[in-house]
Amino acid sequence: MSWTSDHLAELRALLGPDGVLASDAALFTYEADALVLERTRPDVVVLPRSTDEVAALLRWARAHQLPVTPRGAGTGLAGGATPEFGGVVLSVNRMDQVLRVDPERMLAWVQPGLVNLWLSQEVAKHGLYYAPDPASQQVSTIGGNVSTNAGGPHCLKYGVTFNHVLGVTAVLHDGSVVTLGGEACDAPDSDLMALIVGSEGTLAIVTEICVRLLPKPEAVKTMLFDFTTIAQACRTVSAAIAAGIVPAAMEIMDRHTTTLVEEWLHIGLPTDAGAVLLIEVDGPAVGLAVQVERISALAVAEGTRSTRIAKDEAERASLWKGRKSAFGAYGRSASGFYIMDGVVPRTRLAEALETVYRLCEERGLEAGNVFHAGDGNLHPHVLFNADDPVAQKSALEVSHEILRMCIRFGGTISGEHGVGIEKRPMMSELFAADDLAVMGRIRDAVNPDGRLNPGKILPGGGGCREGSHADAREHAHAGATFVPRSHGGQRPREDVEGPWI
Amino acid sequence: MDLSAVIGLDASRAVDPASYAMSGRAPGAAVRPANRDELVEAVRAAAGERLGVVPWGGGVALSWERAPERYDIALDLRGLAKIVEFEPEDLTLTAECGVTIEALRDAVAARGLELPMEAAKAWGATLGGTLAANASGPRRLLLGAPRDRILGARFVTGDGVAARSGGKVVKNVAGYGTHRLLCGSHGSLAVIVEASLKLQPAPEARAAMIYAMEAGDVADAARWARFPRMEPAVLSVVGSAIAMRNPVFAHGTAFTVVVGFEGDAPHVEAMCAATRDALGTPKLKLAGASALTLWQHLADLEELMGPRLTLTSATHTPAALAAWATGDGAGATGDGAGATGTGAGANTAAAGAPSRPPLDRAVFHAACGKLHVFPHGADVEDGAADAPSPDVDAMLLELHAKGFALTNARGLAALTPPSPPSSALRVLREQARQALDPNGTFALAR
Repeated sequence: MSWTSDHLAELRALLGPDGVLASDAALFTYEADALVLERTRPDVVVLPRSTDEVAALLRWARAHQLPVTPRGAGTGLAGGATPEFGGVVLSVNRMDQVLRVDPERMLAWVQPGLVNLWLSQEVAKHGLYYAPDPASQQVSTIGGNVSTNAGGPHCLKYGVTFNHVLGVTAVLHDGSVVTLGGEACDAPDSDLMALIVGSEGTLAIVTEICVRLLPKPEAVKTMLFDFTTIAQACRTVSAAIAAGIVPAAMEIMDRHTTTLVEEWLHIGLPTDAGAVLLIEVDGPAVGLAVQVERISALAVAEGTRSTRIAKDEAERASLWKGRKSAFGAYGRSASGFYIMDGVVPRTRLAEALETVYRLCEERGLEAGNVFHAGDGNLHPHVLFNADDPVAQKSALEVSHEILRMCIRFGGTISGEHGVGIEKRPMMSELFAADDLAVMGRIRDAVNPDGRLNPGKILPGGGGCREGSHADAREHAHAGATFVPRSHGGQRPREDVEGPWI
Repeated sequence: MDLSAVIGLDASRAVDPASYAMSGRAPGAAVRPANRDELVEAVRAAAGERLGVVPWGGGVALSWERAPERYDIALDLRGLAKIVEFEPEDLTLTAECGVTIEALRDAVAARGLELPMEAAKAWGATLGGTLAANASGPRRLLLGAPRDRILGARFVTGDGVAARSGGKVVKNVAGYGTHRLLCGSHGSLAVIVEASLKLQPAPEARAAMIYAMEAGDVADAARWARFPRMEPAVLSVVGSAIAMRNPVFAHGTAFTVVVGFEGDAPHVEAMCAATRDALGTPKLKLAGASALTLWQHLADLEELMGPRLTLTSATHTPAALAAWATGDGAGATGDGAGATGTGAGANTAAAGAPSRPPLDRAVFHAACGKLHVFPHGADVEDGAADAPSPDVDAMLLELHAKGFALTNARGLAALTPPSPPSSALRVLREQARQALDPNGTFALAR
């Protein structure tokens, strides 16, 4: 099928003139998400405002047999929002409303384009908040979070996005609309909802989401410990869990990361430490002091050189700013780097990190680490000179080996960003052929002509039957996100600290 | 016909079909595979022969269920009962489907951990059965549902493909969450062979406060308003006809209400004090292991009688029952079932007010909004047939009007759902079934 001006006219009739973008500049913006190496220009970008408009759009796309790629804020690192087969990019940015807050029953219905942090800000007046807090929460959308089942530093204690979604309204490939789950726990068809959450837009387009809200913890305590070696920091994490404490968050930054952040922000991080460990506990005020004492004692036993406990909200914010600015700090300094999103069992963290450093050293590359230690979710950064193709190639090889190590250690290739395009080839290393075949059966049943976010997640080109260049795109850089210093229109916004991991 | 031979297993794997009767009807054959390979072989062979298979765990709920039309094979999964991997320091565990909830609970408790799953008759209920039912107990909100705690699974599809999804680590977004889809599928899509779970440390303290209450207290919304934000581990309302079966509950009042907390000792103490302020002095207070035992008693209540409706509400206080607790609900005939007191309420409520849910035969885990109602009120010993037939459809309609959505109708004849699924939803359900059980091997299609 060829794209004609009739198509644009039809879309404008469906969605209004403001709901359709087709200029070169606009299309360029939607070529990729934060995985900028992989770019494809869509034929058109649409900005529906409601479930009805999404349904109309999907009926239209079906009639024209066009692929539809949904997109939130485009902060994903895996290419999940890249329109690999062209067609329509469905941006949920105009569906950004809080539809209803029920403070008594502690839930809210929201549209998918609502920015994650806005929801917590909106419900703060009721003493409530929305717990999942991906580090990108200042810009990423709840719809995007649902599509990748996003995590965040605090999911150690509070669970990931799925654990907070009560129900969704979703539009299926043919434009029909279903409601799965509801406002109550385990409402009817929650099982199907559980399949849709985390399916990266390949099964349905979620247009309304009912989320659980939590009462704001009465008190929060944030601690920062510094250690001579990263192994000590990892052992402290394990010791806390072994002592029966599940902090709200446990985050580690290695020396490389700490130095970059400190040089940028000057917030008093120890640049000579092997690693710093940020631990936050929250909950009823009455139990918190004891938890802080117990954790501090464990850190001392593991040899912490210093203990810093945030005195007030300002100091707490500053400590978190250090953690959440890590990605931006790398962007400022390195000429090029690959980031991974692998997971290993928490008890094998120290061993995994040792392997990461060794693999890099063997190839003369530098590595930095900043990660969700409590969950075993690593974000190794493999650094290289972007002008040196040999270095880039070995960095890529190291990235693959790191993900293979995660698999070997009993972990996985993605903890929170999804598979998208870039980890697709690694799926065959993580899963057996039959595992992938069954996932393929699910996709083919629910998304029968493969037009919903075609080609994502599953290896082998994916489900867009009219696509011809899928196989050719099983490119070499699977499993690692390349972030060059200057990457055109998709650079993470400078005004929001760049908290993307 | 020797069906166990037909499905390719050694004769020694055949077990007595009579033990697998569903509402009195036994299957053509019953087999108990001894390992994963035998299980796959059995499903494959049954699929080839077009036989209808019902996977069995402990039979805790299934024995009350109505048998499907094609009840050819009961597939007993209790031969697969190994704990495959237990990593206390990672707070994860992987076990085969046939291991019992009690065995799992004991194994993790020995290392100071808590199994975040509850099931009626935990001594017999299996991991696979609990997952397949997405079953929960009084602590559903605190612990999450099985669907929230499952990290990954191995399963066998209806055409005999052994596959897996998810993994063993606590964060994992690689591939579809098929393991979560299987939670609540009641064995209609695939057989869960093995599953990995996220555990948690056992709390430092637990406390339970037991109150005897009349209908007016339960219905009083103002008294309960604070409770959802206190995040109680347990806030359960037990009707009199059910309470009378356990000496620990209140007798002589319409309801027993159990309030429970878990967590750091000072917090639990503070919450108990707040509860006293709101509700007065309890009839009985339990702590520690005794509270844990009480939670199990509460979980067991849902299996005290036969046919059962399970519903869910977003209102997480006992006042969600207000419409029927006191006399002003729809279909009311004077004093409602809940207010009539011990025992005698059962039959009169059913006969006199057929559309009114009989709260004397109900358990409401208000902390998570989950309501179990026994519309027939038959005793375990009596059998369902002896009870007078209430109008269950009208009862559902009445519950639905007050915000209770039906999640399970166990052992009840075809009901008229108050809000029938849309055609799009039916198509989606069928697509999921087609993907996982294309031949219709699993007979308990939902």
